[in-house]
Order: sequence, then C-alpha cells, then structure tokens
Amino acid sequence: MPRPAPASAPVADHDLVSRAARGDEQAIGSLYDRYGGVLYAVAYRVVGQRADAEDVVIEAFAQAWRDATRFEATRGSVAGWLTMIARSRALDVVRARSRRDRITASAAADQPQRSPGMGDWRADPSDSYDHAERRQQVQAALQTLSPPQRQAIELAFFEGLSQSEIAERLKEPLGTIKTRVRLGMQKLRDSLRPFFFERGP
Amino acid sequence: MSRPEQGSLRDLAPAYALGALGPEEMRDFEAFMAGSPETQREVAEFRDVAALLALGEPEAGTVTDLRNRVLARVGEEKSRRFPGSRSGSPGSRIPPAVWGALAASLIAVIGLGAALLSLRGNLARLNRDLAARQERLQAREATLNAILEPGVELYQLTSSGDPDPGIQLFWDRKRSSAIINGFRLKPVPDGKAYQLWFIKDGKPVPSVTFRPEATGHARVEQVPVPTDGKVSAAAITVEPAGGSPQPTSPILLVGPLQKAGAG
Repeated sequence: MPRPAPASAPVADHDLVSRAARGDEQAIGSLYDRYGGVLYAVAYRVVGQRADAEDVVIEAFAQAWRDATRFEATRGSVAGWLTMIARSRALDVVRARSRRDRITASAAADQPQRSPGMGDWRADPSDSYDHAERRQQVQAALQTLSPPQRQAIELAFFEGLSQSEIAERLKEPLGTIKTRVRLGMQKLRDSLRPFFFERGP
Repeated sequence: MSRPEQGSLRDLAPAYALGALGPEEMRDFEAFMAGSPETQREVAEFRDVAALLALGEPEAGTVTDLRNRVLARVGEEKSRRFPGSRSGSPGSRIPPAVWGALAASLIAVIGLGAALLSLRGNLARLNRDLAARQERLQAREATLNAILEPGVELYQLTSSGDPDPGIQLFWDRKRSSAIINGFRLKPVPDGKAYQLWFIKDGKPVPSVTFRPEATGHARVEQVPVPTDGKVSAAAITVEPAGGSPQPTSPILLVGPLQKAGAG
C-alpha cells in the first residue's frame, strides 16, 4: 500500500522546521534522519564524488537551519524544499569545479553509475522513514518514460541545464524539449502522487 | 515579441519546478503564478516529483559520522545566530571572583574552540587529500589494467645520441590504441610540444602532442594507432603546440613497432 507519510512519525516535518526556526538544532538532526539519505543521493548524483557530496549535505542542512524561518509549508513539502537546497549547493560545487579546471580527468573517475555497492545508508533500523518502497516506485515510474523524456528531465534536474541549454546540447528543437519535460513530469506526477513526501498543514 | 499566453505559461510549471527555465521565462512564469493558486499547487506537486527523482538513482551510501558533522556545522550556525544566548547580563550581581573564574573558563573554552576548529580544518584538508589520492590511484590502476591486457605489446622509442630520455609505447592492437609513457624528457620551450608520429607505409602520420611535467614524465592514453596500412615505427619530434601535419624538426626519439624476427 502507498504510504504518503509514516504513520508512526511523532513530529510532522513542518513542525521540525518550526522548531529549527526557534533555535532547536536537534530538529535538524531529526530531519537528517528522515531525509539525509535522499539529500546525499541528490548530491552524489550531481557532484559524483563522495567527499564533495558529504560537504554538500552538511552545507544544505546548514542553509536549511538559516532559512527555516522563511519556509512556507504551502509551497510544498519539507523534503522537496531540502532536496532543492541540496541540488543548488551541489550545482554550485560543480560550477566552481568547472571554473577551476574545465578539463579534469578525475571528475570522470568516480561517476556514480560506475560505482555501485558503496555501502549502505546507515539509518536507524527502527526509523520509520525507510524509503525502500518509494525508491522501488520511483524506479518503476522512471521506466515508464521514454528515454528522451527521462534524459531531458535528468539533464534539467541533475545537471542544472535550462530547456534551451538542453535543446542546444542534444541538438533538438526547443519545442521538442519543452514537450518532453512537460509530458514526462506529468506522467511521473500521476504515477507518484501516492508516494509524495509528507506535506505541510 | 509577444508575451506567452496564460495556457502556455501554465505549461511551464514542470520545468519551473525542475529549475529549467531561463531568466526571462522564469520572471514571466512567477508573475503569472503569483495570481494563480492552482498553478502554485501544481508547482508544489512537481517539486515533490523532483524531490523523488533522487530515489531513482542507485543507492549511494554515506559515512557514519555525517550526522555528527551536520550537527556540528549547525552548531556553528547557531552560535552565530544566537551569540548572546549564554552570556549573563552586565548588571547582574555576580561577585568579581566569579567573573574572574568565568573569564578564565571562557579563555579556556575559546582555546579549545580554536583547537577544535583547527582540527576540523585539518580533517577537511586530509579528507580532500585522501580523495585526490584515491582518484590518482584509480587512474593509475586503470592504466595498469590497460597495459596488462593480454596481447598488449611494448616498444621503446630511444634517442641514438642521448641515452637519457625514452618513451615506452604500449600498443593494444586489438583496440588499435596505444599508451605512451615518457621519462627523463627535456622541457620544451613555450609554444612548443612533443609530437608523436607513426610511420605508416614509409610516411609519417601525425598523432598526439604533449608536454612533459617538470619531473620529465609524460603519459598519454588512448592514442589511436592507424589501422589502414603497415605501421612500422613511431617517432617523436618537437613541433608547435597545436601539432604539425608534417614534421618540421629533426627526429628526437624513434623505435621500430615490429617484434624482433617479424617481417
């Protein structure tokens, strides 16, 4: 059965953000327990190196701590907010790296796709925020996209490219890319709606 | 240029949630979204889709102390946000002796804090250094694997007049590819580089250019070897950095690319 939010969660995500906004750093610890693995996955997919991915996660939670007072529950889930922070920090790292050295052979040496089995995410076994079922559903939903749709979405999200930049990269008309992004995302939304992360009030 | 229609603006919600709009489109979309609660709801949903995309990746794993490092970092932020949260008020009636003890403690704490920060900095440096070393090690391992592939042949390019510099050429005939490893190479002037030539059917065919490191070493991998014809030798000359179509200087190093006894 789909599980929109863990039933046993003692504190709602948005309450943890409110507690962080009032200066309770343990609330960030709880958010880390719930979404640290998701943020690390985003960061690692974007930066491709473990040490940088760890720094990204640390800085993302530090930013979440600073920005907690500005979080608006009506604009989306806490998980979505945290993920977008991690993605932005990760893209910053990649852009800074690219500025420093546009040709780094080492950047290709540690690609996530080629480094499976790097150990398990050490979550508390009793933690109700086990994303295994979600992960399975997301992977199944991604399989339903056409390869060009998936490619366009991944280039946008993980490489930070605009639709125009994707069109240029793939040498395809801009309209085609816009359609792929829109239809692909709509398809994912329809498949994954029951698995969205916990929403605010 | 005309502004996009409202319908087409709403179509941009998925791309907006992915962060894939250009600056102008983003301005137009945000202005439109401000007046459309329905679009705001759609964007929130697409943001949730984006957040789930990370779960489509293979599990990446992490290190066990990352939680502690996150909390330590947030602790630093907290001390910035609430700098006065633990200090006493100036008008309090604490005896001077206690103030003295507090001051001494504070100095000790500051000392410990500085030491901790310094340790943290050292640890970060060590981590970065380790990651860089691991990457270099992986690259070397890949090179070693390529050299040790069955069927890879080793040839030496040497200088007749100077016994010092040399180049090893590892030729993988199956893949028509070579790795060249140079040592004790002399520096080349600015704007110049060493260029490799394959001698095919008696004529020089231009290949890669490279500059040696300060140590005299140079390594170039995945050098394509010509396939359509008989490659009998390889040679090195000094050429303009961009390479030349024909040699413009004398041969410095040369070696046959045929096994002894082979025709």
